[in-house]
Amino acid sequence: MAEGMDFEGLVACYYEPLYQFALSLARDESDACDLTQQTFCIWAAKGHQLRDASKVKTWLFTTLHREFLGTRRRQTRFPHIELESAATELPVVLPPTDSRLDAPQVFDALARLDEIYQAPVALFYLQDCSYNEIAEILDVPLGTVKSRLTRGLGRLHQLLADDAAGPQPPPPKS
Amino acid sequence: MNRDEAKTILLLYRPGTADAGDPEIAAALALAKQDPELTRWLVEHCRRQEAVRAGFRKITAPAGLKEQIISEQAAHEKMLFWRQRAVLAVAAVVVALVVLTPLWFQHRGQDDTYANYRNRMASVALRGYSMELATNNPASVRAYLAQNDAPSDYVLPAPLEKAALTGCAIESWQGAKVSMICFRTGKPLPPGEQSNLWLFVIDRSRVKDAPPAGSRQMIQISRLRMVTWTEGDKLYVLGMAGDEQTLRQFL
Repeated sequence: MAEGMDFEGLVACYYEPLYQFALSLARDESDACDLTQQTFCIWAAKGHQLRDASKVKTWLFTTLHREFLGTRRRQTRFPHIELESAATELPVVLPPTDSRLDAPQVFDALARLDEIYQAPVALFYLQDCSYNEIAEILDVPLGTVKSRLTRGLGRLHQLLADDAAGPQPPPPKS
Repeated sequence: MNRDEAKTILLLYRPGTADAGDPEIAAALALAKQDPELTRWLVEHCRRQEAVRAGFRKITAPAGLKEQIISEQAAHEKMLFWRQRAVLAVAAVVVALVVLTPLWFQHRGQDDTYANYRNRMASVALRGYSMELATNNPASVRAYLAQNDAPSDYVLPAPLEKAALTGCAIESWQGAKVSMICFRTGKPLPPGEQSNLWLFVIDRSRVKDAPPAGSRQMIQISRLRMVTWTEGDKLYVLGMAGDEQTLRQFL
């Protein structure tokens, strides 16, 4: 186990961010609780194998993500798109976003992202994970993480801006 | 790096994090300092990032989740503890059985007392045996026994020499061979039986508390009347299903 931290200390330190990440993936409170609990359960069983105490956070998030993928039994695989190939379609002009956003708003917008963007965006905002940590947690190359983040963030901001602008009025009849 | 490229890079920039240490982001930030429009874009971007980040972080875990995780883990560990105890207990029982069973059998197997020998031979006579050699020729019996390393240099009492020989078998007791010589008393045999008088001969040294030479002991084991004696280096047990008087006729 991580040096100087017992199980209760570890739970106290990470249950909230893990739950937030789980909720961003599962979009269901009950499932998020289960994922969080399962992650700590796996830690209790296998955490002693982790030698580098500085990797506890990454280990926990990686485990939770794998558990989520396992429970989803997803059939399709996510395509890896490198940053260079996506650069031409990156949004460089972002719409204004309301400076006062609440959790349901952002989670709703996150849920409307393509699935491949949800996990990196959640880790990006929720945990301040570095790009390398996100790559390690999601088990994808660093370039893929950056390209997914660039696209995901752009799309997220667009959705939030659209939500803030409200429904568009129908075009006037001629 | 132009302005649009810088914006693309800075899209991933989170103020107040280690992102600024990324060489690409650092270069884009440096460019933003020199470009007023890019600076304005960056300020707006940072405001937006903070707003989204704050929105995400408003989500809180359900009350009691932490306690639930800890308590369930404690319960799980407790269950594991008792399961391990149970496994250890079962393992201990298995080990004890593995260790003790051979000792028990060994102990049983080491019961080389005179009483045990008599009981075992009575059991052989009463519960069945297979006649290995059916003959009325005493020499053939001795030859067969000798050939199979069973006691063959036995000395029969004179009356028994005259009894009707029917054959022989070889029994085993505590690793020693026992010669079983079968006779008929002259009385009617039970159906399927070939003999009703049996002499068991074993090396005396194999029976721990064999009686001394010169004494004869008459005993009854189940429905078998038996007489035992020692002569030379052999222990003899003669048995039959009948009365003592009849048995004495063969001594």
